[in-house]
Amino acid sequence: MNPTGTIKRLAVALLLPMTGFVSSLEAAEVTVSAELSRPQISQGEMAELQLKVTGAQQADVPQQIQTDGLQIRLTGQSTQVQMVNFKVSSSVVYSYIVMPLRTGTFTIPGVTVTADGRQFRTGELSFKVDDSRAVAPPPPSTASQVAQPPGMPPGIPMPGFQQRRPRPAPQRIDESKLAFGEISCPKKTLYAGEMTPVEIRFYFDARYPVQVRGRVDFGCEGILVERFPDPKQSREDRDGVTYNVLTFHSLLSAVKPGSLDVAPAKLDCEMQLPGGLPPGFDDPVFQQLMGGQSGFSQPKELSVKTSGLHLEVLPLPKEGKPDSFAGAVGQFDIDSIITNPHPAPGDPVNLVVKIGGRGNFKGMGAPVLTQTDGWRSYPPNDKFDSSDELSYTGVKSFDFTLIAQQPQKESPGCDFSYFDPTTARYVTLTSKPLPLTASPGGPAPVVAGAVSAPSPDSKPARSPATSHALKDGEPMSGITLRSWTTPVHRNEFLIATLAMAIATAGLVGTLAYMRVQAQGGTASSRRRKRLSELRSLLSANTADAGSSYEAALEYAELELPSSEHRDTLISGLTERRDLLKYGSGDLKPLSEGEHRELMESLKLTKAKSS
Amino acid sequence: MKRLTLLLILVAFYTVLSVRAGLPEDFAAANENLASGHADEALATYKTLLTHPNFRTSGSAEIWYNRGLAEMETGDTVEASLSFRRALLLDPASVPARMQLTKILLALGLPVPDGWKERTSGFLHPEVMIVGGAVVGWIGALSLVVLIFKASRRRGLIALALLLIVVGHGASVLGTLADPRRTASDKAVLTSKDPVTLRSTPADSATESGKLDPGALISILSRNGTWWYVSTGLGQSGWIHANTATPLLSSSKAKGSS
Repeated sequence: MNPTGTIKRLAVALLLPMTGFVSSLEAAEVTVSAELSRPQISQGEMAELQLKVTGAQQADVPQQIQTDGLQIRLTGQSTQVQMVNFKVSSSVVYSYIVMPLRTGTFTIPGVTVTADGRQFRTGELSFKVDDSRAVAPPPPSTASQVAQPPGMPPGIPMPGFQQRRPRPAPQRIDESKLAFGEISCPKKTLYAGEMTPVEIRFYFDARYPVQVRGRVDFGCEGILVERFPDPKQSREDRDGVTYNVLTFHSLLSAVKPGSLDVAPAKLDCEMQLPGGLPPGFDDPVFQQLMGGQSGFSQPKELSVKTSGLHLEVLPLPKEGKPDSFAGAVGQFDIDSIITNPHPAPGDPVNLVVKIGGRGNFKGMGAPVLTQTDGWRSYPPNDKFDSSDELSYTGVKSFDFTLIAQQPQKESPGCDFSYFDPTTARYVTLTSKPLPLTASPGGPAPVVAGAVSAPSPDSKPARSPATSHALKDGEPMSGITLRSWTTPVHRNEFLIATLAMAIATAGLVGTLAYMRVQAQGGTASSRRRKRLSELRSLLSANTADAGSSYEAALEYAELELPSSEHRDTLISGLTERRDLLKYGSGDLKPLSEGEHRELMESLKLTKAKSS
Repeated sequence: MKRLTLLLILVAFYTVLSVRAGLPEDFAAANENLASGHADEALATYKTLLTHPNFRTSGSAEIWYNRGLAEMETGDTVEASLSFRRALLLDPASVPARMQLTKILLALGLPVPDGWKERTSGFLHPEVMIVGGAVVGWIGALSLVVLIFKASRRRGLIALALLLIVVGHGASVLGTLADPRRTASDKAVLTSKDPVTLRSTPADSATESGKLDPGALISILSRNGTWWYVSTGLGQSGWIHANTATPLLSSSKAKGSS
């Protein structure tokens, strides 16, 4: 034994799982793919389109995929988590139902999906609808379509890892006991369009790990099978063997009468059966490390099938079929409401008719409005709220948009007919008109639902009939001239605004001036006024000498700038005034010479004083 | 002072009230033709009327409305939508014009405008809001000045004057924002008979980026020769040929021949 080689093999054996574990921790790469359940169907049948987003927990997908001749609507989503070779990946599957509106070959355009902040686009898919009723069975799953059934937990309930390289099974085991399937349908006789539950169970020997590949393949020409929701997992003992059981529930309905032999349901899987050590790993040291067991297994491709199913499909009776029958089969009730019973004049009214119960909601048409005189109606928007995962029970709401063409006090009524398979009779439900107040001629309404984004193919209504239907207004009389420009862009408005601003400012100024004047003016103006009075008094020389010196003193204090001369002058004037005031008490005016001297000392000339 | 006051009053009246232009005999005759089923003759008369010199700087919502009716009668629904849009431009509070436009847009599968601007201008004519609000606001301003300088017990009155200023000028601003004429110069209506192709660049060979239906209102964001870069406001934008659309306001504003 070569010790170096043994160490290398041991290192490889230890590193391989670690590499896988590390890789599982890596950020998942987001991929988006689209897949059709069947590339070709007959008219009247439906197919399923699955949009698979791997590596993201959530994605934004369109509710509808616009394809001329096909109606493709989102019906639901499921999340898958898968672990292969210790690498965990999650994916979200968005399921669309594809309903052909005519025969032909179609190209379903690529779908734009936003996930993880990025946009992805799938490739185009080719789809064919013929009316030959001879459609090839769905192709088997390819390697690129390997996926677990919707909602399958990581690695399937069975433990073990998957060996991806196919190798021949070395052992001979009774395959019929390794895995098998069963199918049960409570009704073997049903009417065309009637939905009946079907249960499919697949059993897997619990001793061996299993990797389920692909989806349940079930269906045939003439029946419609709803999408299989997440399977339920359980354990069950059969003949002393413990089996892991996957139970699928769905609904099937027949589209044409007659005897039908439905092919067995099939599920492809890969089971890990015990096997020997591959070349290079037969070293005794390695076997000792693995606890004496080989640790390797041989994969076995299995196609697990149920038994077939025979159905007798009865046609819907022609007798007694109401005019309002639009394909609904089951048991239903009806309710209706007006969401806005008192709209403004011209505003639309929304009449919501709710059909509840159990049956083929996907295949049912809209109720028929009655008593529609004076109303303009638009095709309703519909919305289905399912109360179970199979969409067998629930409430489907039809939202009619109505516009009153004349004053109305009640809404239109509506009829809804369905076929009840339990009594084998048609039933017509009637919803009576509801009270409201509506009138034409109001401001612009927005019609919810009826107003949609313009489609590229829509054509303007130019037919005379349409135009005539639109015209119900009378011509206006009288001509009123109005400007094409808003006032703030017109000169007259700007001039008026400017004038008002100036007027306001002028008013402020005027009132402020008046207030100041009322308070005697400013200090400066009061000083100027006093100086003027003093100059007049001194120039006139009519007052007595004491008063003249009093005035001269005040004048000097107010007028002369601060200086030594001013101080000397004021001191002299004060002394002379006091002498006259308290001394001789002379009440005569100043003499001519003294007056001139006083005026010169104050630098007052005749001209200045005047 | 008296002359200035008189001038201000005249300006206010001119902006608040529309000038009555009388009832021309041609208009009455066209209306009779329309009522009696001679829509073609009526339409020709309306178009001639709209070329009158009176309509160089002004418009008549009544003529545009009646013209729209005549165009509907002759089957030209797209042109009728343009006429009703112009009638609403002149008189946003016109209920009949709004009704007819709504019906046309519903028939064409186009969205009906119903934002706050339409609701506001439909409730009260923007002209009244703008001019009336300005008058009230300025009255409040003048009153405030007088109260501050003249009144003795003035606190409550000053508050009232401030309220007048806020409400008046606020209404004026609101009316300006809601006035569709403010942004009409950048709007156009697709009047092509077929859906118009949006292109990524202003060239016939450019890749298509979408389609627009006739009758749709678009905003002109840029011009490049005979190409316009437009937006629908619904997320679609691209270049279109200018001859596939008609501006809501033509350069002469006398759109009788458009």
